Amino acid sequence: MKIGIPRALYFYVYYPMWYGFFSSLGHEIKLSVPTNKEIINLGVSHSVDDICISVKVFHGHVKYLLDKKDVDFVFVPRIASEEKYKYTCPKLAALPDLMKSAFVSDTNRILTATFYTRQGEKPIVKAFEEIERQLGDSDEKIKMAVKMGIRYQKLAVKSLRSGHTFLDVVKNIRDLDSLIKKPVQKQRYTVALAGFPYDVYDTFTNGDVISKLEDSGVGIVTTDMLDPKVYKHYSKYMIKDLFWYQANAAAKGGMYYIDSPDIDGVISISSFNCGISSIYQKLLDLYSKEIGKPVMHIIVDEQTGDAGLATRIEAFIDLIRVKRGDGLVAQTNNLHGTEDGVHVRSL
Amino acid sequence: MSHKRITYTVPRMGYTYAAFESFFQILGYDVIIPEPTNTETIKEGVSNSPEYMCFPFKILLGQFERVLEQNPDRYFKMVSLESYGPCRFGYYSPLYYKILKDKGFTNFEVVNVEGIYPPLYRGIPRFFKKLIKLTGWHTPWTVVKAFVIAGWKVYATEQLEKKLYYLIPREKVSGSTERIFNGAIEKIRHAPNKVKTIKKILNEELEKMDKNPHVERDDLPKIGLVGEAYILMDYGNNLDIEKKLAYMGVDVDRSLRVTNWTLDRLIKTKYHKAHMLEVNKGYLDFFIGGDGQESIMNTILYKKNGYDGVIQAQPFGCLPETAAKEILTKVSEDYDIPVLSLAFDEQTGEAGFVTRLEAFVDMIKSRRQIKADEKREESVTVKS
Repeated sequence: MKIGIPRALYFYVYYPMWYGFFSSLGHEIKLSVPTNKEIINLGVSHSVDDICISVKVFHGHVKYLLDKKDVDFVFVPRIASEEKYKYTCPKLAALPDLMKSAFVSDTNRILTATFYTRQGEKPIVKAFEEIERQLGDSDEKIKMAVKMGIRYQKLAVKSLRSGHTFLDVVKNIRDLDSLIKKPVQKQRYTVALAGFPYDVYDTFTNGDVISKLEDSGVGIVTTDMLDPKVYKHYSKYMIKDLFWYQANAAAKGGMYYIDSPDIDGVISISSFNCGISSIYQKLLDLYSKEIGKPVMHIIVDEQTGDAGLATRIEAFIDLIRVKRGDGLVAQTNNLHGTEDGVHVRSL
Repeated sequence: MSHKRITYTVPRMGYTYAAFESFFQILGYDVIIPEPTNTETIKEGVSNSPEYMCFPFKILLGQFERVLEQNPDRYFKMVSLESYGPCRFGYYSPLYYKILKDKGFTNFEVVNVEGIYPPLYRGIPRFFKKLIKLTGWHTPWTVVKAFVIAGWKVYATEQLEKKLYYLIPREKVSGSTERIFNGAIEKIRHAPNKVKTIKKILNEELEKMDKNPHVERDDLPKIGLVGEAYILMDYGNNLDIEKKLAYMGVDVDRSLRVTNWTLDRLIKTKYHKAHMLEVNKGYLDFFIGGDGQESIMNTILYKKNGYDGVIQAQPFGCLPETAAKEILTKVSEDYDIPVLSLAFDEQTGEAGFVTRLEAFVDMIKSRRQIKADEKREESVTVKS
């Protein structure tokens, strides 16, 4: 059978698990194309107007896959909880219901299961059994497949911890072992990206912040590369843990990067009208005020003007350089030959 | 602890402030109730809160800030009743604390009272600790009495409100019932703290409202209100939507009131959840926090009870309500009931809002007319 997986939302966290599961069952996986203008337009026209852009984009990806007639099922998981007593945003918890009410004619092609992750293997097995009932595979095969899924997810987490981005993981999904061994090149400047994985890695929606930074010779780290253990102690500063795993990761991970000396600045990326990010962004703001490290917030929406974002990132890089005492742009690197060395990058 | 006088301040929600006031007065504290939501409070709140934070947070922050500014000589305990769930409501008090500290206020502390949440071995002690922090050390009898009186006052104001919105579309002299109602609310507010007297005042006032000349009729269009609790229950936040609809000649009913909210969420939780799952089957059968599931359930129930339309009131960007909104479009189609979603934020203009309400009411009236005509035609054909 051909399973369509939308390249949005929790794809950027659990794709290895789903890849391992479906491929070892012998199903063909059809990924939707990386987000583009058409997908955003599809999503905007199929969702209500005041939902956040990430969910709108998800609508677009699902519609794209539903339009492909050879895709038998589109996989829309309900990630209910990502840690014990920590849940996800209401919109994500209601995701299959949203899809069913948005695409009324295709409700039976939506494959769904409720996942409770990071709470041992039992709930994951249960979720996959729910899928099995809809697909009709045998029990023994499922057991193997779940094991494969969990193995892939563990490898992916390992490669994230070793400093590779999730985009690298998706690219090298067939050979994660060699990706883990591959060292990450260290740059002179490092910027941390704090935010939900689906905002940080969706390169079209966020104006390709990652490659804009890498082009300018800045290395990046993201909050999902961190082990949750290292930022546990920030709960005290936050008074009360946030209710959402990803928001906790973004807030505490951001604070951890603000504190760590080898990070030059933190950029937080969130989508327009995402309610949760408004909380962690305020927390990062207040914390950076105390510590004194630059923090910039980028809020993305369906308008895809690139020039403004490029200017902001260049200004941020200049700020980092000045803070390090390197001046704006060193004369030796001044390719543009401007007198004051102002960094004018051709796009 | 500061040497300044301890004063409590509570979020203002509809007419229930009277109950909160007497609750703390019985315990022997000073209370200052924030002024009703107005442009000043909204301005104050919006300029200090995160941009995409929900509107209720901005209003409450504005209210508290105004109170702190106006009374620099007191030490405030700000009461924040919150839950811990998928909705942002659970993170209000840490943000109040951080933002107000950042603004330079020192004469306050935030007391948040939240339900018991897992793990239980930590949740239950935490709950009682918070409760004691809220009320201070008192004899249990005083605390119980305070709860009972507050409960009765909430009940009384709600009965009066219900009567008001029932009578407004039927009264002979426009505005006469409202005048009696305003007096009655004040009387309830200043009523001595005895259940008997509150009951007596309530009955007297209800009778007085009933005696106001009006015409009994049951052919009015009926509209139900669903949505986010704080927007729905406070007349300052929803621009008096109930009164406006009532003056347009509509029988209006609000799905969430403090009494049924407490009953459903705190006392009859299990029954409420089972009932909700049964009604919502096929639309939203998963807990998403806030009032999202209730909105869908109440819309369906309103249709079953013969209502003509539903208005969903939500703050802009509310997490559970936006999810509910998308599902409500399908409910509206399946059950053939018009649903109007209104998002409230700091820029809500009154004129545009009234126009939308009028258009919706007109639409509902014409739908009723069409249906009545169809029925008449049918009966005519049967006769011939």
